[in-house]
Parts: sequence; C-alpha cells; structure tokens
Amino acid sequence: MLMRGLRIILPIALFLGLIRFWEWSVVYWEIKSFILPPPSAILAVFATDGASLLGSAWTTLGTTLAAFALATLSGTALAALFASSRITEAALSPYAVILQVTPIIAIAPLIIVWVGLDNAWLAVLILAWITAFFPVLASATAGLKAVDPNLRDLFRLYRADFRQTFIRLMVPSSLPYLLAGIKTAGGLALVGAVVAEFAAASGNTDGLAWRILEAGNRLQIAKMFAALLLLALMGVALYAILSFVEWLLLHRWHGDRRRG
Amino acid sequence: MSSGLRLDRLAKTFPNGTAALGELSADIAAGAFVSLLGPSGCGKSTVLRLIAGLEEPTLGRVDWPQTRGSLGFIFQEPTLMAWTSAAKNVALPLELAGMAKTQARERARVALEKVGLAGFADALPRELSGGMRMRVSIARALVADPDVLLMDEPFAALDEFTRSKLNDDLLRLWAERRFTGIFVTHSVFEAVYLSQRILILSGRPGRLVADIENPAPYPREPGYRTSAAFNATARDILDALEEISTC
Repeated sequence: MLMRGLRIILPIALFLGLIRFWEWSVVYWEIKSFILPPPSAILAVFATDGASLLGSAWTTLGTTLAAFALATLSGTALAALFASSRITEAALSPYAVILQVTPIIAIAPLIIVWVGLDNAWLAVLILAWITAFFPVLASATAGLKAVDPNLRDLFRLYRADFRQTFIRLMVPSSLPYLLAGIKTAGGLALVGAVVAEFAAASGNTDGLAWRILEAGNRLQIAKMFAALLLLALMGVALYAILSFVEWLLLHRWHGDRRRG
Repeated sequence: MSSGLRLDRLAKTFPNGTAALGELSADIAAGAFVSLLGPSGCGKSTVLRLIAGLEEPTLGRVDWPQTRGSLGFIFQEPTLMAWTSAAKNVALPLELAGMAKTQARERARVALEKVGLAGFADALPRELSGGMRMRVSIARALVADPDVLLMDEPFAALDEFTRSKLNDDLLRLWAERRFTGIFVTHSVFEAVYLSQRILILSGRPGRLVADIENPAPYPREPGYRTSAAFNATARDILDALEEISTC
C-alpha cells in the first residue's frame, strides 16, 4: 500500500518541484522569455489564446481519433483476411511492410499533392492512418498465429467451421496481442497527425502543429509550450483510456500478475 | 455405446522425412481399455492423431467395423480456453455441434459434477489447480458421450498423488460409460493399472513389439497397485521393453 501511494505521490511532487525550480531559475538567471518562458507565462497563454489553441487541439484530436479508428478497423480486417487466406497474406504483406518502413514524412508531400490541395484535412487523415495502421496489422497477425495448436486441433476434431473457429478461438486468443497493438496505434495516430499537419502546413490546416509553426515564426515561445502541453496531455489521455480498455477486457482472464 | 476399430498397417512419415510410425496393425475391441506404451518419440501420439483424423496416414488406414465412432480427445496439457469459464469450456463440443447454449451449459454442469468439480462451473482455468484443470479437460472430452476416448499422456505433468486419483476417476467413468479407451503413456505402472491390454511400441519409426493382455478384473482398487498380479504384468512389460531399449 505504501509503495502504491508513493508511486502516485512521487511523480506529482517531482513535477511540482520542477515547475517551482523552472519559474525561479528563469527569474534568477534573467533568461529571456523568447528562449525559455516561465510556467506562469505559459499558463497565461491559455487566458489570451485559449480559444484558438483549444480549437486547434480539437481539430488534431478529431484527426487522431478518426485515423485511429480507421487503423484499428482496417488493420484487424486485413489481419483476419491474412488468417483466412495464406495466398492473400503472401501477396499483400510485403506491401504492408513497405508502407511501414518508408518514413511517413517522405510520403507526405505526395499524398498532399494527390488529395491535400483540395482537402488538406483528408491528406492529414490518410497520413495519420498509414502511421497507425501497421502496429494493428502486425499485432493482430501475430495474435492470430499464436493460437494454441492443441486447441486448434480440438476445434478440428469437433468439426468447427471457419466462422466458429474464428469467433470462438482466434479472436479471443489474439485479443491480448491486438490490444497491445491498438495501444501503440493510439499514440502513433497522434504522431502521424501532427507530422502530417507540419508537412501540409502553410495555413491549410488549423491543427496544433500549425499553431506551433505560427508561434515559432513569431517567437511566441510560451504559446509553443502551451501547444506542446496540449499535445502531451492528449497523448497521455489516449494512452490512459486505451490501457483502461485493455484492463477491462483482459484483467479477469489474465489476472493481476503482481498478486499472482 | 462404443465402437471398435481396426488399425490396418498404419504408417506415417512426415514431410520432413521423419518416419514416426512403421506399419502398425491392431484390432481394438469395442469398449476395451488399451494402452499404447513406449519410449518418447515412438509415434504413440501419432497413432492417436491418425485415429482422430488430425493427420492423414502415409500408408494404411483406420477401419471402423460398424459406423465411425464419435471421438473425445484429452491432450497432454488441459488445453482449455483461458478466457472462459470451466462450464463454457466443457460445453464447447456440444455448442460446436449446434446444441442450444442453455442446454449445452446444463449438460456441462452435469459433466463437471461427474469429475468432482460441482461448484466450479463458473471458475476460470487460471483459478483452478493443475489436477482440476485436467478434470475439466476430461469432462469436456466426455460431455458429448464419445464412442472412443483418445488420451495422449494426459496425466504426465501431474504429481503422483493427483495422478493416481485421476487414474481411479478415469476407470470409474469408463465403467459407467463403456467407451473404447485408448491411452498413451510412458509409465509402465499407469499402463498396467488402467488397461486390459497393453501395446508396446519401439522407437522411431514406431513398431508394435509386444501385445500384452492384463487379465486382472475390474473394478481395480488402489490395493491392486501392490498385488502379485500387478507385478507379474509389469514384469512381462519390462521384459518386452528390455528387448527394445537397445535400439
């Protein structure tokens, strides 16, 4: 119990201590606010530019969630297709890998030329989707392959058809793998969205990346920090929610390992 | 109900060239309890998988004199679905065959009672001990009332105490249901205690080297384990094994 309390209290205490030190050191060493603004100045940005920042955050969050949902659905569906047909897997999996290993920032200009000139938001969505798609596909594929061979034999022995085997055996067996992939995909969707917004840039989108570029050009460092803070909060919230979903679905079956 | 079966020059060579099983022929009577005994890697499990239709024989075939019997299979590990309760695990064969859920679960509950797990229907596999998990596995194999029960070293991973308890339970269930039991083991004493007949297989590729009858009557009580009759049969088996231990 003491350990668990410390696990929560210590990071918070450390955070508050660092903020105090930051505030104090900016004043003490007379650091210029366009190099490092004090935390109080960053907080003050929310009072002046809060509406535009939150609006941008809303845009980025929307793109992220849409890309995440698309990645989860398409990654799972493709993994299921791979599991049902080895020929499809052999034919398509190299392309999935190529898409994964090619840096997203290098694909971005192409996608933006193709779809982004009329509709920047769509280009950003596609890029974020590509970024988040692969971990879902990879983990779901690995999960579907990790089915206990004896259980598979048992299903064959009782003449289960593919649908029964898929729903009753393959989906539940692969769930822990899939959820780990989905958790990674949540974070990557945000990364992909922001990277794509940077690439699209120049006023075409109004996501948080654009606010950061804009503030950077005007040396409004406090505003950059405020935008970064929002991004970090979004990432943490996404991760926390997905971890909670994972816990909800798996804790009864896997148990709390710490308690054995 | 039970079915007899005939193994007709059954042989299996795997695609990688491993000859798992030479030509094995044997008649197994309906309702018999037969053990396949031999060192590890002599194709005992392959025989079960061939009977179950999980592998295709390279040569020979499995003949069913009457109709093809329905099968139950108990693996070396309990092989339970970790994500669902004991009752739902046991109900699986019935539900796969299309039985309505409520009816299947009810029969699963009864099957669990038969193996001494009344009250554990809603327990998850991880909440059960190794022996209890194996009991769930036995209940699942018997829930659909199979004609033939195939058992692949089911108790090898259990401690001596649990193992002999499960041996007794298995014999009791066999006496009630009269399925044809085919039991793979590498324990001489387990084979003698359980079986009417012991087929001894040699190492790769597996070949039949001895076919030993065990005339001791059932029900066999734990005292049988230390009787002179038990020792005589065990002696016969050990002699037969002696001949192949050099190969």
